[in-house]
Amino acid sequence: MSAQLTRLIPLIGLILVASIIVITRRAWAPALGHSIPSIWRIAKVTVAEARRRRVVQAVIVLVIVILLSMTFFSYLSPQEQSRMIISSGLTAITVFGILLSIFIAAFLIPHEIETRTIYAILSKPVRRFEFVLGKYIGALVVLGVITAAMTAVLVLVLLAQSRLVQSTAESAFNPNLPAVIFAAFMNYCALAVLTGLIILISTLSSTTMTVISAFIIWTVGSMQSTFHDLAEKAYGAAKVLLLVIYFIVPKLENFDFRQEASNYMPISVISGWDAVLHGIGYTIVVLLLAAVFFNDRQV
Amino acid sequence: MQTFRLSRWSVLIFAIGMLLLLMPLQEAIHRARPDKFSPTRKMQTGSMFGLGPTPAVIASLGGFRTVAADLLWLQMERVWDSGNWFALLPLLDAVTQLDPHFVLAWKVYGWHCAYNLNAESETIVDRKYWLNRGLEILQGAVEANPNSWEMVFELGWTYFDRAHENYRAAEYVKEADAMPGSPSYVSRMSYRVYEHIMDFKDLFPAMQHAVKEHTDEHAHMRVVTRDIEWWTNHWNDPQEHRRQIVIENTARQQRALPYYLFPNDPYWVVCPYDGLPSPKGSKVCQTCGRPFPQTQPGATTAPAG
Repeated sequence: MSAQLTRLIPLIGLILVASIIVITRRAWAPALGHSIPSIWRIAKVTVAEARRRRVVQAVIVLVIVILLSMTFFSYLSPQEQSRMIISSGLTAITVFGILLSIFIAAFLIPHEIETRTIYAILSKPVRRFEFVLGKYIGALVVLGVITAAMTAVLVLVLLAQSRLVQSTAESAFNPNLPAVIFAAFMNYCALAVLTGLIILISTLSSTTMTVISAFIIWTVGSMQSTFHDLAEKAYGAAKVLLLVIYFIVPKLENFDFRQEASNYMPISVISGWDAVLHGIGYTIVVLLLAAVFFNDRQV
Repeated sequence: MQTFRLSRWSVLIFAIGMLLLLMPLQEAIHRARPDKFSPTRKMQTGSMFGLGPTPAVIASLGGFRTVAADLLWLQMERVWDSGNWFALLPLLDAVTQLDPHFVLAWKVYGWHCAYNLNAESETIVDRKYWLNRGLEILQGAVEANPNSWEMVFELGWTYFDRAHENYRAAEYVKEADAMPGSPSYVSRMSYRVYEHIMDFKDLFPAMQHAVKEHTDEHAHMRVVTRDIEWWTNHWNDPQEHRRQIVIENTARQQRALPYYLFPNDPYWVVCPYDGLPSPKGSKVCQTCGRPFPQTQPGATTAPAG
C-alpha cells in the first residue's frame, strides 16, 4: 500500500465522520449550541483546580530547577554539552509532563465522585459527555501551558549556553532550536493522547487504580514497537495477545523525536504529521468510549 | 435539553473500525522512521566486543535509551580521567549500542582503539589487532549513520593516518566530500591522500575537483590554488619526491607501525636487512645499498636488524 494511500485512509475516515455530523446537523446543532459553553465552563473550572494543586506547582518548580542545573555540564566539550542539554532537557520535559498528565487526569473524574461535587454539576443542565470533554480540554490547557513553560526554560538555557560556551571549529555548541521545539510539541501531543486514555480509565475505576494503570500504559506505550516486533516472532496465543496489546495501547513512541533532536538528525515532519493524525483518531475513540462508560456509570 | 444516546454496539464498532483504519498509518510511521522502528535496530546488537547491553535491555529501556547513553557517556568521562584505557571499552560499546546515532561516541570509540590502545600495546600483533578493531568500529558507525559525512570521513582519515592505506582512504574521503554539509577541509583531504603517495595521475584531477568546491571560501581557494601551482612545478622534481618520502616515513615511525604489516603498500618496499623502506620497484636498498632478494619480505616476516 502506498504511503499516500495509508495517510488518506484515516483522513477519509475523519472526513466521513465530519460529513455525518454536518448532514445530521439539524439534530446536533441546537445541542452543540448548548454544549460548547458548558464544555468551556467545565474546562475553566478544571484549569482553576489544577492551578491550586500543590503537587503541580512543586513539579513545575522542580523541573525548572533541573533544566537550569543543566548548565553544570560545563566541564564537557561544547559539542557534548549541547547534546547533553538537549537530550536531558527533552527527557525531563517528557518525564515530568507524563507524571503531571497522570496526576492531573487521574484525579479529574474520580475526585469529583469521591468528594461528591459531581452531584452539584450533573444536577445542572450539563450532559455527561460535556463533563468528560470539558475535563479533557481543561487538562489539555493545563498541560499545554506547563509544556510551553518547560520548553521556554530549556530554550533559554540553550540560548544562554550558546552565548557562554566558546565554540571551536572542531566542537561547536549547536542549540538546534527548531528540532527542540518540534520535539517538545510532539511530546505535548503524546500527553494529549495519554490524558484521553487516563480519563477513559478514570471513568471505570478508582483514583489509585487509574494511576497504576496509567503508569503501566505509559511503559507499554513507550515500547509499542517492541511489542510489534515480538508479535511478529511469536506463535499461537502469545502472538494474538501481543497483537491485541499492540492494537490497543497508545502509540507514544510515534511522538518521540528526542533522539533526532539531540543527534542533529534530519526530522521527518511527515511522520510527525502522521503521528498527530494517528493520535487524533485514537483520542476520538478513547473519549467516545469514556463518554459512553461515564454515561452508564452510577454516581 | 435534548439528549442523544448512542448504542454501545455502534460505539464499539466505530472504535474498532477507527483503530483498524489507523493501522496502515502506523505501518507508514514505522516505515518512515526505520532508525527508530526497524526490528533489526533493537533485536540485533551491533556490539563490536559483545560488551554492550543485550537486545532485551535495549528494548526494555523504551524511550530512555538516549538518556541511558548520556549517563554512560558521563561515566566514561570519569573513567577517562583515571587512565584505565581498557575499562572504557564496555562503556563506549554500551553508549554506541544504546544510541547508534551518537556520532561523537562512535568517533571516540574508533579513535580510542585505533590510536590509544594501539599505541599502548606492546607487541606488533596487538597493535595490528587494535588498529583493525578501530577500523571495524568505524565501519559499524558508517553502517549505523549512512548519512553522516563525519563518520565516513573519520573512517577515511583512520585509513589514511593510521593504516596508511591511501587508496582506500581516498574512496571514503571522496564519499564524505560528496555528502551534504561536509566542510572544505574534506575537499582538500580528497587530494592530500594522493599527495602523500605521489600518485600524480589521481592527484591532479582531485585537485581540479577541489578547486571547484567551496568557491565562496577564500582560505580554501587560496590553499588549493597554491597546491595546484606547487605540484605543477614540482611533480617531476626528485628533491621534492625525497621530501615527501621523508614526511611519510616520519609519520609511520611516529605511529610505530612497521612497514611489513602492510604487504599491499602502494609506495614502499622494505629492505630485509636494515628494515628501512625504499620506493617500490627499487632493485637495491637506498640506505644500505644491498640488492633486494627476488621474493620481497612477506606480511609475517620481520626484517632482520
